[in-house]
Amino acid sequence: MPPDDAALIRRMAGGDEQALGIFYDRWNSLVHAVALRILRQSDDVEDVVEETFWQAWRQANRYLATRGSVQTWLLTIARSRALDRVRAVKRLREEPLEGESGDALVQQVSEGDASTSTESNERRVIVLAALSELPAEQREALELGYYNGLSQSEIAERTGQPLGTIKTRMRLAMQKLKGRLQILREDAR
Amino acid sequence: MTTAGMAHEQALQALEALALDALDANERVAVLAHVSGCAICQQEVIALQVTASQLAYAVTPVPMSSVQRDRIRTRLAGRVAADRVHSPEVHPSASSVILIPHPEHAAHAGRHWFESPSSWLAMAATLVAAVSLATLYQVTKERDSIQRTYQYASVRTAQADSLRAVLEDRDRLIANLTGPQVAVVTLTSDGIRAPSARMFWDQAVNQWTFVAHNLPAPKTGRTYQLWLVTAKDKINAGTFSPDAKGDAVVRATYNLPKDALAAVAVTDEPSAGSPQPTTTPIIVGANSTR
Repeated sequence: MPPDDAALIRRMAGGDEQALGIFYDRWNSLVHAVALRILRQSDDVEDVVEETFWQAWRQANRYLATRGSVQTWLLTIARSRALDRVRAVKRLREEPLEGESGDALVQQVSEGDASTSTESNERRVIVLAALSELPAEQREALELGYYNGLSQSEIAERTGQPLGTIKTRMRLAMQKLKGRLQILREDAR
Repeated sequence: MTTAGMAHEQALQALEALALDALDANERVAVLAHVSGCAICQQEVIALQVTASQLAYAVTPVPMSSVQRDRIRTRLAGRVAADRVHSPEVHPSASSVILIPHPEHAAHAGRHWFESPSSWLAMAATLVAAVSLATLYQVTKERDSIQRTYQYASVRTAQADSLRAVLEDRDRLIANLTGPQVAVVTLTSDGIRAPSARMFWDQAVNQWTFVAHNLPAPKTGRTYQLWLVTAKDKINAGTFSPDAKGDAVVRATYNLPKDALAAVAVTDEPSAGSPQPTTTPIIVGANSTR
């Protein structure tokens, strides 16, 4: 039975390079996808993937299980490193998340993906389903903040909506997601 | 209930955006100031932060090509190996000053509240370091074979150590700005150029990181001096000068009890510094998290 992520992180914190290799093999596709979604440029994407796993290696001893699963922690690092690059070169993407409409998200849910673990696919299905239940305008605010790294003022400017409206949309969206995704927190290893 | 000037209810309304890292800079500072002293908000924001992180699962996994995957694996292995070969400790002195490379970067320096951004310079250094360190590792193993290889390795060692120091320093800075036990003190001024600054106190390791903007250049023979103000003392935290844009970062290590800090201040002093402040602070901030 392959070691779970928490065990790998403990081994990495102890300097076990083999654990890093296993961890990298397990999650590079998803980290790559997050970096690619945010950056959309292959050169930077590769660098971000490397930086993400390097940071995971260096900070494995700082991982706190109470703050979420190992995968969530890793993807948070990937997002942060990708947004650093985006913000540094000022080339924020205009496009919303693929499958912007609820229908498209539902379609993604049914497709799944054979290249990643069953657990990861299950998580993806749950998150996409939760996103698909949000009104389009709430989902847009959320995606512009999360994937494009925009502040609420920037989102208001981009969408032409009052700042207060954006704040409300983002707040409602997050509260709904928090409830829907509670199951992932309970499953976190 | 209020903390640091922002009402609890007001801060509560902004926690979702804080978790998404989508607050504007000023609001973010105010919300963080409240959260740092509010257990209810801390608990809520952690839950929201996890929720925000889970959004990453919505992307469609995209496998890398085998060439890409192997290339990254090789670079990671090289960095890990080199990290084992060379492990010098970097101890920034109390007066060390790192100039912020670009205001745009500084403007975003606070956007990730639990994951700080890194600069292009540091990222470039990372890439160069990966290649240099991987090469160095191989060369080091063979350096007994011929003298020329040894000399080459020596040169690369110096380069790699230098780059590694940059990376170590960057990693340490990130930790000191974003750690779970970091208290933030905002300093303000009513001067014409409106200098502003923040002190990040990583109480877990007693590391202090002071970031200032819009500071006018000190006059000839003068310098700025940073002070940690307690009820009894004004503790010298180092002298510094801002860069041409008025930006400066001062890092210091000082062991202070968590409830001892009353304020942080900057004064104008002779270039050698002073044992105690001799002028009125040009910028000062009270520790509202006590």
